[in-house]
Amino acid sequence: MRNVNWLGLAFLSPALVMVTLFFLLPVVLTGFFAFTNMSTATGVTGGEYLLNSASLRRLQNEGLPQEVLAKLEAGGYRVDAAGLAALAEATTPATAQELEQLHGAAEFSDRRDMERALKDLLDNRIRRTRDRKEAAELFKRSILNERFATEAAFRAALSETGTRTAYAEQITTAAYTGWVWTTKNVELLFALPSTLRYAANTTLYVTLTLAFNVGFGLFLAITTFYLPKGQGAAFRAIWFLPRILPPVLYVLMWRWFTWDTGFLATVTGYFGISPKNWMLDTSYHAWTVVVLINGFVGASMGMIIFSSAIRAIPTSMLHASEVDGASRWQQVRWIILPQLAWPILFITCYQTLSLLTSFEYILLATDGGPGRATEVWSLAAYHTALNNYGGNLEYGLGAAFALVLVVIGIAASLIYFRLFNFKRLITKPLIEG
Amino acid sequence: MQLDLINFTKRFGDTTVIEDMSLSVSSGEMIALLGPSGCGKSTTLFAICGIHRIDQGQLMFGGKDVAHLPSQSRNVGVVFQNYALYPHMTVAENIAFPLKVQKMNRTDREAMVRRYAELVHIEALLERRPAQLSGGQQQRVALARALVRQPDFLLLDEPLANLDAKLRLEMRSEIRRLQQETGLTAILVTHDQVEAMSMCDRIALMNGGRIVQYDTPTSMYERPENDFVASFLGNPPISFVSGAGLGQSEARVARYGIRPEGFGPQFGSALSGRVTFVETQGREDLFDVSLTNGEVLRSIQPAGSGIRPGATVQWGVAQDKLLRFDQDGRRL
Ligand SMILES: Nc1ncnc2c1ncn2[C@@H]1O[C@H](COP(=O)(O)OP(=O)(O)OP(=O)(O)O)[C@@H](O)[C@H]1O
Ligand SMILES: [Mg+2]
Repeated sequence: MRNVNWLGLAFLSPALVMVTLFFLLPVVLTGFFAFTNMSTATGVTGGEYLLNSASLRRLQNEGLPQEVLAKLEAGGYRVDAAGLAALAEATTPATAQELEQLHGAAEFSDRRDMERALKDLLDNRIRRTRDRKEAAELFKRSILNERFATEAAFRAALSETGTRTAYAEQITTAAYTGWVWTTKNVELLFALPSTLRYAANTTLYVTLTLAFNVGFGLFLAITTFYLPKGQGAAFRAIWFLPRILPPVLYVLMWRWFTWDTGFLATVTGYFGISPKNWMLDTSYHAWTVVVLINGFVGASMGMIIFSSAIRAIPTSMLHASEVDGASRWQQVRWIILPQLAWPILFITCYQTLSLLTSFEYILLATDGGPGRATEVWSLAAYHTALNNYGGNLEYGLGAAFALVLVVIGIAASLIYFRLFNFKRLITKPLIEG
Repeated sequence: MQLDLINFTKRFGDTTVIEDMSLSVSSGEMIALLGPSGCGKSTTLFAICGIHRIDQGQLMFGGKDVAHLPSQSRNVGVVFQNYALYPHMTVAENIAFPLKVQKMNRTDREAMVRRYAELVHIEALLERRPAQLSGGQQQRVALARALVRQPDFLLLDEPLANLDAKLRLEMRSEIRRLQQETGLTAILVTHDQVEAMSMCDRIALMNGGRIVQYDTPTSMYERPENDFVASFLGNPPISFVSGAGLGQSEARVARYGIRPEGFGPQFGSALSGRVTFVETQGREDLFDVSLTNGEVLRSIQPAGSGIRPGATVQWGVAQDKLLRFDQDGRRL
């Protein structure tokens, strides 16, 4: 018995590996990233400790007392090896050597003291004030702008600045450049007005495209059903083309179609309308194009499913309805459509899920434009996390966007699951054709 | 209403399925389209109700040519072999469908549904769906649906083929009762000769896309046009023997047809033979008797004769029931 079980598991294991790798892992990672502040700046590995003007500003906003800030900023001067090497570069090695002899390892809290030390060199005196100022700068040892690989090193340097230990914790946190756990992303999602905009866009996109998909798919399936066999098949093949075309090519054709020198502009040009980009000139046009691009692709899927469902209806039932006196329209309305309830429900559920998460056609067509008019949720997630103009990719925030989709997707799947388990839809009628 | 099918031809592509067929059904009559599988019975039925286009010929309903009319406007009720009930509708909705597409108002519709449900005895099942019905009940629903629109003709395509033996017997008389009560002109398609003979006023026996004989069951049984008709009707079937086997010869007669009830000890003892097979059917026994020249005659006798296989018998044939066929199989 045990052997049989193991064998079964062995056969299943490729599938399990696949599911884990390509489904479970991304979901888990999304959930994980969503609660970090990862971005290009923080990187995805651990970070260094660095205080710079930006972190000081942050600390100021957090209410760090002015005198502590001043201390951090001020820093002192130390004659150390690094400074001496730099001095040797800037002036002469002899100068550096003399300074080391006189003031090796000396510390000055004030710039004037440091400058005096440079001025008072016996053999290699730096005469010009400006040169002295520059040379003094070489020995400035502030905690500012210095990178520390470990927290211990940073804390040591911090205590050297004479900052009170009460503030050490806060300053260390502010100085950390790596990623940290945070719920800020989720809070931000609810706070940002653009989020609402993306949600509204997504609702609009899914609703319109779905309506188009299902409606047009049904229309095609029913009309081609009533055509002679060969013609019907030819029509269906034509409508299936967008689906087998590579998306880039397909969208490129749409862009060409709507460009300001494209087909539409050329044709409307004959009617005296000045050429424009018909896709991106207004948000209405952008939406129309987005819905059509996705709709034509999606409709082909509905068409195929609905067609085969219609052809699964026993012909005698259609004949019966005809001799019962039903016109074509009545036949569609009372016999065919009710028997398509299940496929329609299935396509609706399936398309809702795939439309929620798919953005490649929008990305290729409008890229969310004009402005943010066609920026849907998944596209926003992509832009935030993987491709934005600012250059700082916010993985964490993007993952938070994606996480919302994951949650909606799982919830919807569960609901659909129940729906499809619904007995009346599943049980096949006992009479058949 | 009178139905006339005149010189009807039906082709599917290059194959001619029905050729030059004519058929008249008088008002209030129920006829059977009887024939072996694939002879074109269903095709004829579908042509009458408009599902198939008529390639050549005329179809007259009450003297009016309706060949060009679509099935929707022919007012024909059809019961399909598999009943073709609408699985997503309740029984009541199924029956009401022909009225619904006529846009009859709801109260009238419900009254009609009730009336016809009572006629076929399914008033208790109105809220069920077809999947929740037995075969016989489904068939009654199909009948009610065909009748509810008060059609000019009722067409039945092998309505009993899917039922078990007992139910078939019950529905046979049920359908005949309904047809007579409603006074409908009806055509029953069947390949079961017992069904055709017991239910119908006349039988059109088809073979290979033609009507071989169109007559009342009795005269068709007693006076078959040819050997095909003679062999198709009658259960157990007729047996054919040569003049030599029978020990008699007549001009132009190639074969004699003897029905089982026309051969036995009550008709004399002119023929001697050996019993090769005995089948007990309860009230009657069926015998296969091998004559001296090897030809076989069938006989049906009251049970209890005690004759066993292998026994030698001296039996005779009823001369008045002897059917004579010529070289081409035509009856003389
Ligand atoms: N749509 C069609 N296309 C081509 N040939 C057809 C078509 N429908 C029927 N036929 C042929 O026409 C002939 C008659 O068919 P039909 O269905 O009328 O037979 P039937 O007498 O009803 O037989 P059964 O008792 O088996 O139902 C058959 O040989 C059949 O193969
Ligand atoms: Mg048939």
